[in-house]
Amino acid sequence: METSEKILTNVKMPFCPGCGHGVGVRSTSKALENLGYGSKDVVMVSDIGCSGLVDPLFATHTIHGLHGRSPALGLGVTLGLDNSNKKVIVVQGDGGATIGLQHILEVSRRNVDMTLIVLNNLLYGMTGGQMSGLSTSNFKQFKHSDDNAEPYDIVNLAHNAGAAFSVRVNNISNFENTLKEAIETPGFSLVELSSLCTSHGMKKISELKSYIEEEEKFTNDRPVGVSLKRNTKSLLENTKILKPQYKSTITESVGVVIAGSAGGGVQSAAKMLAQAGILSGLYATMKGEYPITVGTGFSVAEVILSKKPIYFSGLEKPSVVLAVTEDGWIKVKNRIADSSKVYLDAKIKTESFFEYDIKEFLKEGGKKGAALGAISYWLDKSKIFPVEALLKVIEGSKYEDSLKKAIKSAEKFKELVYVNR
Amino acid sequence: MVLTDASKIMTEALVQSGADVFIGYPITPSNLFYAYSKERFPEFLAGPDEISVLQWMCGYSAAGKIPVTATSFPGLALMTETLNMAYMMELPMVLVIVQRLGPSTGSATTGAQGDLKFLDGVISGGLPLPIFSPSNFNDAWTLANKAMKTAVEFRTPVIILTSKELVMTQKGFDMSLLEPIKKVDRTPKDFEKPFQPYKAGKDMVPTFYPLGNEKYQARFNASTHDNDGLIRKGTPESLANTWRLREKLEKRVDEFSFYELDADENATDLIVSWGVTADASRDAVKSIRDKGNKVSLLIVKTLLPVSSKIYDIIDAYKKVLFAEENMTGLYKEMIFGKRNNSKVKTATKFGGMLTPSEIVEKLYN
Repeated sequence: METSEKILTNVKMPFCPGCGHGVGVRSTSKALENLGYGSKDVVMVSDIGCSGLVDPLFATHTIHGLHGRSPALGLGVTLGLDNSNKKVIVVQGDGGATIGLQHILEVSRRNVDMTLIVLNNLLYGMTGGQMSGLSTSNFKQFKHSDDNAEPYDIVNLAHNAGAAFSVRVNNISNFENTLKEAIETPGFSLVELSSLCTSHGMKKISELKSYIEEEEKFTNDRPVGVSLKRNTKSLLENTKILKPQYKSTITESVGVVIAGSAGGGVQSAAKMLAQAGILSGLYATMKGEYPITVGTGFSVAEVILSKKPIYFSGLEKPSVVLAVTEDGWIKVKNRIADSSKVYLDAKIKTESFFEYDIKEFLKEGGKKGAALGAISYWLDKSKIFPVEALLKVIEGSKYEDSLKKAIKSAEKFKELVYVNR
Repeated sequence: MVLTDASKIMTEALVQSGADVFIGYPITPSNLFYAYSKERFPEFLAGPDEISVLQWMCGYSAAGKIPVTATSFPGLALMTETLNMAYMMELPMVLVIVQRLGPSTGSATTGAQGDLKFLDGVISGGLPLPIFSPSNFNDAWTLANKAMKTAVEFRTPVIILTSKELVMTQKGFDMSLLEPIKKVDRTPKDFEKPFQPYKAGKDMVPTFYPLGNEKYQARFNASTHDNDGLIRKGTPESLANTWRLREKLEKRVDEFSFYELDADENATDLIVSWGVTADASRDAVKSIRDKGNKVSLLIVKTLLPVSSKIYDIIDAYKKVLFAEENMTGLYKEMIFGKRNNSKVKTATKFGGMLTPSEIVEKLYN
């Protein structure tokens, strides 16, 4: 650390005459210099409002962000720097602490190694002296505010969220030493400093005393929050290579719609069909459709298998529809084209005017295996490629036994019920 | 051949290009990016909300890292103020926006192309933000790399605008088609001394030194600022600095303007498309040509800023059809405004994928 460098520039304080923010700035620079920090060891993160005017005062690295977001910005800087010799100091006012309260709780919860200084002058100074979430009840009475809500105790909130050190200091002669203690504490420290706004509040510091909350100080002995770095492997290397080893009889393309319910393995069965298609020398796509709920409602998948490369992955007219539950059938029945071959589970009620086959997909395949059983049945019947391709896809899977059982369930569909209305 | 999706390809391309950290908040249909990034990025952080996500990213970026996120419109809406901050501070980063059906929360699992005009005006003052839009798996790979490169070279947030079906649909794909990716170079370029954090040379992009570096005092500023990075209201230097943000992207747009033109000799009809609708347009063009008719196809991959080359191509045709998955043709409105005329047509669809036959029908009816 370069101890010879000054933390402050020679720029004149930009604050109104008598404003308390200057004391906060000087106390911060003295605390840093006394601890041996040089200008390039420190990153000052500033917010919006009068407290946000501090950048030119500091000879350190500076970043001037948005209203209330500086603790979140500071968190990113701290974790991004990944250098414990650097010190990140965030400065905001009581307005910033109000609008960005979530960020203060988050940085406390994570106990990230930085110091937040909240210069609390009890009001929004730049916009005309309005009340903030940290304005005290006494001060609100003084300002004839109709709002009688108690202020946030930001010091206690940070403590309860897990901050290593949080403190409110009202006596300006204690600012510097308290800031030193905060800066030296590993992990997140929050220091609320009382500040005087002579433009919208009282004129003298002696008058301020009866309008501010009492001092308090808390500590949490917790590990410092860091972001873990790891070595990872290429996602492409982890993707299963499918080498064509079976033959397909199709000459153009086939579009298959598989319709069932959430939790029925429809999406994974469709994916297996697409993979089996690739193993049989075809191009394949698989597109899923489902509501936002994960465990309930319909689950529909569309698979296109083609001899030629596939561009548009939507399906205008399905060649085959395999519906294993009522939920799924309701979703897809309006898409049936004249040329569509339709296979329905025996439990599905329908009055549609087209040809369809009924099979006991659910009974033989089970809730989770019906979709895969239906695919297996259709493959065997259509002979577009061998069912072995499907068995090859599941080889080595964690669930190989149950998947195999589902594929084999198709062999039990002996009785054909032919319906033509 | 593998069965894979564009989320995986893009995530891998971003990491190979040198992205350091993924910071995310889960939202459908960008969830695959979240899942893959958790597995692949050297660093992964779960933010408590999208405002925090982008603020953290700005912190990482100012500290010299390249952050990435993926979200959808509701998340993008929350990020808007911070996106302006990142733009003003000139922080490199990549945001993948996976479009879904709106307005509001709309239908989370239905695709759409409805956020383009929001992004056109998302930077207050109408300043341009680079928007890339992949049209297939190959683009997912190459444009993710170009997005990273543009973000670093131009010191700007870059958006990759995509949509549900493009990044969630699985397709058989030959990975050997992917060109090797080079990591984006982050060596600070030469500059005229003394160092000033926002002083730019002829290329209009200031040299980047991160917060915490040992050489120079780094300053970043979200408010109107001078070359030193300090707030200045209305001075010629500070206004010129903001003006430069527009110029660095618009004057150099051809360095990052990507498109695919499949020109049919002597054709007078042109189909213009982007993103998820591009593949339907490719099929439409094939079926038109199979019937012996002539048509050209323009697939736009850098949506914003619009290069004059795009205007030149469009101007060369008598009839232009814009194919898009939204109500009125948002890219068309960016080029021609809301009013249609005999030359300009749209094939649009709301709440579902626009099909090749619908595109063909609109071109001739």
